[in-house]
Amino acid sequence: MKRGTALLSLAVVASLLVAGCSSGTKTGGGTGGTGADDKIIIGSALCQTGIQAPLDEPALRGAQLAVDELNAKGGILGKKVELIAMDGKSDPVTVGNVAKQLIEQGADAIIAPSDFDFGGPASREAQKAGIVGISPCASSPLYGSAALGDKQFTLSMWNTTMGAATAEYAYNVKGWRSVYVITDDFIDYTKSLSRYFIVRFKELGGKVIFEDTYTQGQADASAQLARIKALKEKPDFIYISSYQPDLALIIRTLRESGVTQPVVGGDSYDDPSLFEALGSKYGSDIIYDTHGFLSDEANPKYSEFAAAYKKKFGSDPDAVWIMPGYDVVMVLAQAMEKAGTTDGAAVAKAMEDMTFDCLTGKLDWAPADKGHEPNKAAALVELVAGKPKFLGWVIPEKIPAP
Amino acid sequence: MILLEFIVNTLSLGSLYALLALGLVLVYGILKLVNFAYGEYVMVAGYGLFLGATYLGAPWYVTIVGSLVLAALVSYLTEIAAFRPVRTKSMDAMLVTSFAVSIFLQNAVLLAISPRAKAVTLPAFMTDSVTVAGVTLPVRNILLVVVTAFLLAGLSLLMKRTVLGMAMRAAADKFTTTRLMGVPANLVISAAFVMSGFLAGVASLFWVSRSSSVDPMTGSGPLLIAFIATVMGGMHSTVGAVVGGFAYGLLFNLLSIVLPASMINYRDAFMFVAVILFLLFRPQGIVSRGYVEERVG
Repeated sequence: MKRGTALLSLAVVASLLVAGCSSGTKTGGGTGGTGADDKIIIGSALCQTGIQAPLDEPALRGAQLAVDELNAKGGILGKKVELIAMDGKSDPVTVGNVAKQLIEQGADAIIAPSDFDFGGPASREAQKAGIVGISPCASSPLYGSAALGDKQFTLSMWNTTMGAATAEYAYNVKGWRSVYVITDDFIDYTKSLSRYFIVRFKELGGKVIFEDTYTQGQADASAQLARIKALKEKPDFIYISSYQPDLALIIRTLRESGVTQPVVGGDSYDDPSLFEALGSKYGSDIIYDTHGFLSDEANPKYSEFAAAYKKKFGSDPDAVWIMPGYDVVMVLAQAMEKAGTTDGAAVAKAMEDMTFDCLTGKLDWAPADKGHEPNKAAALVELVAGKPKFLGWVIPEKIPAP
Repeated sequence: MILLEFIVNTLSLGSLYALLALGLVLVYGILKLVNFAYGEYVMVAGYGLFLGATYLGAPWYVTIVGSLVLAALVSYLTEIAAFRPVRTKSMDAMLVTSFAVSIFLQNAVLLAISPRAKAVTLPAFMTDSVTVAGVTLPVRNILLVVVTAFLLAGLSLLMKRTVLGMAMRAAADKFTTTRLMGVPANLVISAAFVMSGFLAGVASLFWVSRSSSVDPMTGSGPLLIAFIATVMGGMHSTVGAVVGGFAYGLLFNLLSIVLPASMINYRDAFMFVAVILFLLFRPQGIVSRGYVEERVG
């Protein structure tokens, strides 16, 4: 009896595991075998749950919308496009495994999560399989051909641009001269963003009063607060490179205890949950740069996109991250059309040669021997009473070397 | 100035940690169950705040009471649905069940609400600051100390003066004998879970309001803190839990100030070293007075 129960439960667990592994959501296309020739499969290893979800989950919606639009216009190379999405679960190992499964299911290209640490494993699997891997918003300069391989791209500007753009804005436009930097040592994104910001800010002649650190998950910023309060020389502003959910906690901790200096940061600020968490009370004097802005002012094509989005999902776009998700699919489609094939090397070559007009701005990649460095502008945004306000597109005068 | 800030911060952090530890120890005392689902009660209460304030737009007092009731209710339901059926089985079964409950609750909110963080709108007094003697402090921190003091006093009265409290204390000491005296086991255990959930709810109110947002993984931080605090203070008595909570808060704040910035990321490592030292040299915790090990079954 006991053994029977044990065997039974083992069988149940095994079947659950199998079911869990094969449950991907599909958009477009039909059902079909592996690597079918009558359709083009794009595999998404984006993280629909976990700490990456605020970035990746909206991007997936954008990708789904793009696939629908492509299919309505006849697909890519006359073939139907199918998007197979599996949850990378904000775990690098899972992301790699999911990418492997997607490739086994015949993926012609892989969409990797929007970060080097979380998305890198998917790109490595894509590179191994000889297909193109592209991340919507991974901004670490490691995301490119140098670290990941000659068929790997990120649609995002690198942190070299993201850090320099705000450094120049703070120094040149705002006239701020001294900064207190808090760097979350969570992932390469948070660390390298501060690094390039500091390089550019010092180059301009700015003074870094102190380089403080924080660790994601500590859920307490009292140590950083105490050090800022103990400063004899008050900084003109505070640069915080961190990640949600702790980013909201750090900013609130500072503001609640009377630290009123402007806070500056990168694209991880671009999250509606942060705006709401800060609210109208603490959501001011915050400046960051990101990939775009949900308005016609930032991109004339926005209304058309927003209308299509609303038709599919029943609500207005709620996060900027939807647009890069849409863009990656469109970039892949254009490159495949130009290459005339889905062959990884040919598509990668087309991506290097072409210039793309995206919702997130004009994009031009350097060749593989230059690391696939993206040439792209940053969208500067200021948070005013909890509402984001578009300041403009910026390409830094000088971009630090990666 | 710095000193006043330090004292208030330490007291408030200690209060928060004491509440968290106390909730964990109440159940441990009787069931000898280290409840890994405890953090999820904090998380569920956070979602109660989100649903009440942000989603339904209810007045703040309704929201707060609602989320406390929700946490206590979820705690009670997990006891009935998950822990009661395996109570007479091995200790391992209980432990694994608590993991299962934790994963179940996390995924339930993930599916039902969102995998992304949700903002929680809080009443002004939870987000305002006051300036006392030139020091700007969040009102919340002062409120937390006061609330904790009242709760501890109330709990101590309950434990010492009421029949239920006496039964719970007796059950924590010698469960079988207590049952032989005619005390219903289910009632005592359910009461412990309800109180555990309620304390998690109170702690959640203050935990969540620090960042004003809640996500499915919110419970992992409080759970770890409750563990460390109970190891330091002592697993076997409610006094130990409270002492452990305050000791942890003090150590945490001291390290925050004393450690140079280059070392601050190793603060957790220092905390864990302290825990290991406790386990090696004083495994019973700061407060060794307590009850004998006896399992319910």
